[in-house]
Amino acid sequence: MRVEYINPFYKATIDVFRIMLNLDVKRGQLRAVEELVPVSEANVVIGVTGDLRGSLLYSFPKQMALDMVSIMAGMSMTKLDAFVSSALGEVANIISGNAVTYLAANELTCEISPPQVFVGTDGSLSMSTERAVVLPLITELGTLEVSISLHGRQN
Amino acid sequence: MWKEHYRVGSDLIDSQHQELFTRVANFIRVVQGDESWEERLSEVQSTLEFMEDYVVIHFADEEELQRQIGYPGLEKHAAIHAAFREEILKFAERVAAEGFDEEKVQEFGARVMTWLIMHVGKEDQKIGAFIRSQGGQP
Repeated sequence: MRVEYINPFYKATIDVFRIMLNLDVKRGQLRAVEELVPVSEANVVIGVTGDLRGSLLYSFPKQMALDMVSIMAGMSMTKLDAFVSSALGEVANIISGNAVTYLAANELTCEISPPQVFVGTDGSLSMSTERAVVLPLITELGTLEVSISLHGRQN
Repeated sequence: MWKEHYRVGSDLIDSQHQELFTRVANFIRVVQGDESWEERLSEVQSTLEFMEDYVVIHFADEEELQRQIGYPGLEKHAAIHAAFREEILKFAERVAAEGFDEEKVQEFGARVMTWLIMHVGKEDQKIGAFIRSQGGQP
């Protein structure tokens, strides 16, 4: 997969985390995986169609997810309920939407599907058997891993 | 929820934003509260009614300010407001028809919270930058 497909997600996360959480984001080491499998407890899957097709998987560690939503809501969250799950889905949706805007600047027009949220770390739960690149996004609350599986028409 | 850096530089708009953040924070507190759903329901209903009216007033005032200062992004901004107003209205219609289900209301609360933070934190800051570029006071 091309690096031009990865950078927009890094840039979008920096923006969204700064605005929503006042939180800095650093990029970890990219790695390739054979399929899209959740690595943490709170997971959001978003489909992509258009010039690029595929799936995105946002995997948040439980405590990071709770801390993020606590910051936004201004009150402490203690369980991954419908409120916290929906808020994470919205955050992943906003990041993906902004990333797609960056892709559009590179003449790639894509659309995203509404987020689907899954709670749990069942390693056998494969979201897609397509290869993916995992982008670790390191913050002081923990590391969000975004698995990006996008394929253009030629590659 | 409200942060000082959300200010755009208009006293009216800034105070309305603070009111919105306060209301949404209270809404979340009720939605995430420990009491039974039946006990929390009347406050959920009254907050939703307040939001329906208040966004209409606030969006109209904010668009009027944009008109007065000749803000170039007015049309796009007004379209974003219209879409969100529609979303709140649709939710109100849905719960009126189907009833107030706790999970549905939690999902809606999360949507309103994230929308408000992103909108005031990003889109509305462009109005603030424009006001400052024109010399400060709207």
